[in-house]
Order: sequence, then C-alpha cells, then structure tokens
Amino acid sequence: MNETQEKSRSYWAETWIRFRRRRLAMAALGYILFLSLVAIFSPMIAGTKPIICKYRGHIYFPCLGYFNPSWENAVFIEDNIVCAYPRRLKEEDPESWAIFPLVFNDTTYRVRENDMPGRPANPYGTSGHPSLQNPCGTNVYGYDVFAMLIHGTRTALLVGFVSTGLAAMIGITMGALAGYFGGWIDILISRFIEVVLCVPTLVMILAAVAVIEKPNIWYVMAIIGLTSWPGIARLTRGEFIKLKQSEYVSAARSLGASQPRIIFRHILPNALAPVLVPITFSIAAAILLESSLSFLGISTSTSSISWGTILNDGHRNLSMWWLTFFPGMLIFMTVLAYNLIGEALQEVTDPRQRGSR
Amino acid sequence: MGTYILRRLLIGMFTLFLITLIVYGLIRNMPGTPVTQMELADPTRALSPEDQEMLNRIYGLDKPWHIAYFTWLGNTLQGNFGDSFSEKAPVSAVIKRRIGPTLLLSVTSLFLTYSLAIPMGLFSVVRKGRPEEQILSITLYVLYSIPRFVAGIGLLIIFYQHLGWLPPGLHSSNYETLSHWGKFLDTAKHMILPVICCTYASLAYMSRFVKANMEEVIRQDYIRTARAKGVSPRKIVFNHAFRNTLIPFVTLLGLSLPGLLGGSIIIEQIFNWPGMGQAFFQSIANRDYPVIMGMVLLFSSLTLLGQLIADLLYAVVDPRVTLR
Repeated sequence: MNETQEKSRSYWAETWIRFRRRRLAMAALGYILFLSLVAIFSPMIAGTKPIICKYRGHIYFPCLGYFNPSWENAVFIEDNIVCAYPRRLKEEDPESWAIFPLVFNDTTYRVRENDMPGRPANPYGTSGHPSLQNPCGTNVYGYDVFAMLIHGTRTALLVGFVSTGLAAMIGITMGALAGYFGGWIDILISRFIEVVLCVPTLVMILAAVAVIEKPNIWYVMAIIGLTSWPGIARLTRGEFIKLKQSEYVSAARSLGASQPRIIFRHILPNALAPVLVPITFSIAAAILLESSLSFLGISTSTSSISWGTILNDGHRNLSMWWLTFFPGMLIFMTVLAYNLIGEALQEVTDPRQRGSR
Repeated sequence: MGTYILRRLLIGMFTLFLITLIVYGLIRNMPGTPVTQMELADPTRALSPEDQEMLNRIYGLDKPWHIAYFTWLGNTLQGNFGDSFSEKAPVSAVIKRRIGPTLLLSVTSLFLTYSLAIPMGLFSVVRKGRPEEQILSITLYVLYSIPRFVAGIGLLIIFYQHLGWLPPGLHSSNYETLSHWGKFLDTAKHMILPVICCTYASLAYMSRFVKANMEEVIRQDYIRTARAKGVSPRKIVFNHAFRNTLIPFVTLLGLSLPGLLGGSIIIEQIFNWPGMGQAFFQSIANRDYPVIMGMVLLFSSLTLLGQLIADLLYAVVDPRVTLR
C-alpha cells in the first residue's frame, strides 16, 4: 500500500470542511465578521472626533474617546475643543489639521450649524427623515441614527460574546460536574438549574442593576450570562452521563488517569461539539435579550448605545418609521446570521448526518 | 407512578421555596420601597416621616427581609397572598383581572399555531425538495428570526399609524356603549395585531418541529416496511408516521403551560395590552412586593407543574418509558 499514509484530518478540520460547503452559513459567518470590523472601526466610520489630528505640534487620536472617554487627550477638554472639533481646532491653532470619520455625526448630541464649516445643522423633532447628511435619519433630539447604529454594533457583539462566553463557562462546568459525579452533586446542581430557570430574568436584572453602584453594559452582560447557562448545563450533563460510561473513559481510568484529567482531557473535548450548537443559539438569544431590555427602557447607562434603545424611541414615535426600520433590520439580520450558523453547526456535527454530504 | 408523582411534588415544593426566597431577597434589596415609588410617581403626595413609618410598619417593611419573607410565606400557605400596594386590592383580584386578557391572546395564538403548524409541517415533508416547499421553509425561517418587538412596532406603524385600522389597547374608549356584537368586533379588532405577533414566531418554530420529527420517523424501519407492502404515501404520512410524531408534542404542550398564563411583557408593552406581563412589569417598577411575589409563585409553580405533566404524559403516550 501507500508508504506515506496521509495523516487523517482532525475532527474539527473535518467539521470545518463540511461547514465551508454551506454557502448560506458561510455568508452568515462573513456577515458577523463584517459586523465585528464595523464594531472595531466604529469611531472611524461615524463620529465627530477626528481619527487623527495634529494640534500644537502633537499628533492625537481623539476618536479613541468613543471606546473610553479617558483615551481622549485632556488637552481638548481644557481648550474646550470637544464641542466642535473642526471649527474649534482651527480657531485655537490655525496650523492644525485633522482627518474626520466618514460620517460627521455624533451619538450623544445634535450636530449644530457650522460645527463643520459649511455643514447645516441636523434636523430635530419628527422631521429628521433619512437624507444624505443623516443616512438613517435622526431622532427627536437630532442625534444621528446611523452613528448610533454603528456604535451600537459594539454593544450588540460584545453582549453576544461576553455573556455567552460566561454562560458557556458556567454551564459547561456545572453540567460536567453534575453529569460526571452524579449522586447528590447531580441532585444539587439539577435543583439549582431549575431555580435559575424559574426566577424571572427581569427580576434578576433589575435587582442586580439596583444593587450595583454604577451600572454599565458590562454588568448587563454579566447578568445575562449568569441567567442563561441552564440550557447549556443540561446538555453538557447529558453528554457527560453518556460519555462517562464509554469504553475509552474506562480505559483511561484503568490506566490511572486522575479525575480532572478524565473530565477535561478525555470527556470534555468529545462533549463539546453538541454543546457548541446551543452556545451559538444563545449568542443570538443574548443579543435579543439585551435589545429587548433596552427596548423596555431598563437601560443601565446612557454611555453605551444599544440598538434596542433606538427601537424604544421608534415605539414612542410611530410616525418616524426609520427609528424602527434600521435597528430592527440590524437586529433581525444579526439574529438570523447566528441562527444560520447554529443550524449549520448542528448539521455538520450530527454524527447521524455525517457522510451523507 | 404514585410514589414518582409524590417525590416530584415534594422536590417541586422545595424548589418553589428556594425560588420565592431568592426573589424576595432580590426585590427587597432593590433601592426604593412601594412608599417611595409612590412618591416618585406623584410628588404632591409626599408623606411626612411619621406617616411613612406607619406605612412601613403596615407593609412589614420595617422588618429585615428574611423575617418578612417568612411572614409572607405563612400568609401564603393560608391562602392569603396579601394586598397590592399600588392598586389597593388583593393580589388574587389583581391577577384575576389581568389573566383574562392574557388568556385571550395566548389561547387564540396557541390554537392558531397548532392548527397551522401541523399542516404546514406535513406539507413540507410530503413536498420535500420541491420549490413550493423551499419557499415555505425559507419564509418560516426568516419569520423565526424576526424579533417580536421589531415585528410588533412594524405592524403598529403600518396598521395603526399609516392605515389607522387596528389600534393598540384592549378596547376602544366607547366600548361600554357598544352592543354585544359591537363589543365582540371591537375586541377582535384590537386582538389582531398582538395575536399575529404572538403567533408568527411560534408558528415557524412549531412547523419546523413537526417537520424535523416527521423526518426522524420516516427513516424508521416500520415506515420502510409499510412502503414495501404497498401502502400509499398519503396513508404512510398520516397513519403510520404522523401518529408517532405526537409524542414530542405532548412534552411541548406541557412546557407551554407557563407561557399561556404568564403572557409576554414585550408584546403587552408594545400593544398596551392590560395582561399579566404588563402587570408584572408595572409591579416591578412600583416595587409592589406582594404582586411580584404572587406572580413569581404562579409562574414558577406553572413551570414546574408543566414539566411534571410533560413527563407524566410522556410515560402515558410512550409505553417504552416507565417512571420510577
């Protein structure tokens, strides 16, 4: 036979090859990657702070202030430039230059006349239809919706990853412990899962937000993560119960492998594939939950913009359709993308359907 | 079977105790009390410190929460759920008043979902791979991913703001003056949008569920046997396959029990529907502890009961399952 026998591909490489054949799922993955790029470069796409500027002989990157207010150099606040960069920079230092984001609009205030020389003010009230100046219209206060959507991408993606990451960690640990050890540990954890499932998420979130001194989006993510792990835990538990009786685990045990080694090195990698599917779906669920929370007005802070907050505005101003349409489309497409990815993962990791395609 | 039910009920009791204890601890530790929230809503009704203290004593707010919890538990076990702070009525009366509108929505929507999803799912199995099946599947998939609050506001914009046909709320303002038939029509008109909103996503989910189950069953040996002995495809789908897909349905029905009575906060907020979800949301905002507790108790007992019923029914319809 062949002397140089090809090394067989790993399970995940195999899965990836099958996943790649699904065009729709790949398009969804591409969309999520695109959204991640938008999130990373959001201050460069829409904003009123220069991406890069030279002021009094120094180079600054004021747009980083959108990520964290303290990353914006204090000199701009001292010289009162932050209110209108293009005009004030020139007034304070005629030698200065600056490159501005693609769309000159802000998420937290209405751009007034001549903030940027020659640019008219944003409309406000109910007349802020989508226009060249405001691609997705403005809200009643004259804040640009496009800018809010772009910056809201950060919140949406972060919520998806951080809270689901947390939920996955808790869920997998709990499920693994319950499934592997069984007995009273299983009973205890199963009761706990039931309790968490029954306590209304809204009560948990409101209570937690109320207890925290200065709530921000990170707490909301943490709380969503802390409430959404039971599904993952149940599935992991089932997988562990199934796998701990398999022959290779007995073999590892008889070779003297320690319990942590059996759990983490032998069972967990094999239990991970089925668990990956609900994890993908719970990213979609977390994004939905966060946007519905901000839609209900349980916004924890004004500093982070969420797509749901814009929808809340849209509900109160039904005549301004653009406040509903654009964020609604974004939430829908993001949820759809994660659902498509989850679905494809389910099919490519399902052993019964393997080999059929 | 009897000991199984008894054991499950006892465990359920303990779980309920834990849930109510946790929720009570959480809500009592939120800043603000019913008294201060009342003042916030209406500053003209500011109370003197003595009055506040009196109210606090009446409501049991002067005691630490773990002691107040056991007072609540004792009263509840005697069938007294307390009085709502903000509505000045017993909690049971508040729930009784709110449960009707919620049931109106959820039962209609459940009925519509099942009566549409089963034919749709069967249709997709029978016509698998044909263009009409693919169009249906894609439509349902897209519907499944539209968030309900987005769809809700969208529907309101089109049918209320632009066309003026279907208003939000439960009744029109002139409801009391209408004849019986007029009242019926008025309620029906108000129900259309929320029912659509409650139905479309679960319809998409359910018909996919029917389809997935059917595809699972159709792979079984007894279907191949039926096909081999010359049973017509139609008879195979309805008599041999569909009956065997009913088992997972039973579980699903049991699990939908809490949603039936719990209502949806989002939909009831969007359409200003005076149901359980809205009442729950308002009671949290008002720190109306007895109402929150009453509703949490109702929701969680229904959730646990639904799980128990699902498991029991499962054993009834599937003779391979025995409960111990």
